[in-house]
Amino acid sequence: MTENNTNENWEPKIVAFVCNWCTYAGADLAGISRIQYPPNVRLIRLPCSGRVNPFYVVKALQEGADGVLVSGCHPGECHYLTGNLSARRKFAMLKRFLSYIGIEPDRTMFTWVSASEGEKFANVIKGVTERVKALGPAEKLIKAL
Amino acid sequence: MENIEKQLREEARKLLSEKKVDALVGYEQGTLPYQAAPCIITEPEEADRLVWNPFCSVNLAKYVHDLIFQHRESQTRTKPEDRTKKVVGVIARGCTTRSIVIHLQERQYERNEVVIVGVPCTGYIAKRKLFRALEGAEPLACAVEGDSLKVETAQGSKSILIRDILSDSCLTCRYNNPVISDINVGEPAPPMNPDGEYNDVDAFENLPTDERWAYFTKEMDKCIRCYACRNTCPSCYCKVCFVEQSQPRWVGVSVDESDTQVFQIMRIFHQAGRCVDCGSCVEVCPMGVDLRKFLKKLDKDGFDLFEHRAGESLEDPPPLGAFSTYDKEDFIFEP
Ligand code: SF4
Ligand code: SF4
Ligand code: SF4
Repeated sequence: MTENNTNENWEPKIVAFVCNWCTYAGADLAGISRIQYPPNVRLIRLPCSGRVNPFYVVKALQEGADGVLVSGCHPGECHYLTGNLSARRKFAMLKRFLSYIGIEPDRTMFTWVSASEGEKFANVIKGVTERVKALGPAEKLIKAL
Repeated sequence: MENIEKQLREEARKLLSEKKVDALVGYEQGTLPYQAAPCIITEPEEADRLVWNPFCSVNLAKYVHDLIFQHRESQTRTKPEDRTKKVVGVIARGCTTRSIVIHLQERQYERNEVVIVGVPCTGYIAKRKLFRALEGAEPLACAVEGDSLKVETAQGSKSILIRDILSDSCLTCRYNNPVISDINVGEPAPPMNPDGEYNDVDAFENLPTDERWAYFTKEMDKCIRCYACRNTCPSCYCKVCFVEQSQPRWVGVSVDESDTQVFQIMRIFHQAGRCVDCGSCVEVCPMGVDLRKFLKKLDKDGFDLFEHRAGESLEDPPPLGAFSTYDKEDFIFEP
């Protein structure tokens, strides 16, 4: 994934782990409503934000993602009732920990997007892409081999 | 110290002869003069092997878990109605009892499968600090004399203040007395200095991002992936650890430095809300990796975000095994 680092027209690659019930449906809504958002994001659909192992985030960074986004249902709206509440605790700690060891905070983002928020989904992707662009290509933790 | 050792042997003998425990985990004199090794005794006559001195470093909770699980596994082919339980006794200082609390909270074994002989603790000697104080001379004999350690080396004898060579974890320990126990030995130990607990973390947090990354990579470059830190850690009891999982392979084993960094990030992160800062991992690391700097951050955040201190009490569940509607979410990105 690092092949385009030297390219002047560098575009970030962002991996987004999204839950099946809210954020993925939100992305769908953005799609069918023809709302434009940057094409830098690759969605990976999971049953729940609680299913996102912190390891996925670290692994995505190691494999060359310039940014990682995790998004699920708003607290209180989880399809599995409390999956996103566990996720919130995990990611509160993960984000602080990764920043602590020196990975820029903007490379790991967490948010909530519901199934009716197509507009918000597009804005999240825009926002995250802008922030990651401002940081430039990821250089830390990347596997060279 | 002498006195505590005597009482410990007495209690151990009693527990074993009254058959209140099937095995007892404690420390014995190691093969080197500056070493106390974990030992497992099963007969009352063996009680005199037990020692208690500032060289007793590793967290014995790991052995309790190992023994109970080995016994359970040895019975997988036994009919359920014929299966027996083994009760393990353990000599436990503050951090060891906290690790046991974590095991109990995580339903690893029942409270009645372990008998905790609580000992007050005044800290253990960090071997690296001892060597530094001796400037490379090999200790041939060591003896505790009051506040100091008298060390005989080929170059002569030297007296070192124990306080100056205590492990960093001990210096700022909040729980040097057992948090749970069945039997108590000795008088409660005076408090250490928990107020300075996060000074290191605070200072590190204030460094620029790239300096922090440079320090992290410098430390992890030393790591040879021997996994001693994981093997000694009482909270690392997984039957199959992610580092050995190969279907799918979680973390690479190549010479690429990112593989080691990822291993460390995840091993350390698995201790979120579960690290009791016993310092065993730091003590056993052959390469002197500064693991504590990173582990302590999780401890600090665990308290900061969820007011949780690992293993403090049985009633307070591990923070990542619980949740609340009111958890802080200032890290959530809102476009
Ligand atoms: S990570 Fe290290 S300090 Fe923490 S509980 Fe495990 S062995 Fe002890
Ligand atoms: S590093 Fe993680 S997976 Fe491995 S033994 Fe420790 S807690 Fe378990
Ligand atoms: S004990 Fe030290 S060298 Fe061994 S794996 Fe742990 S950090 Fe690396």
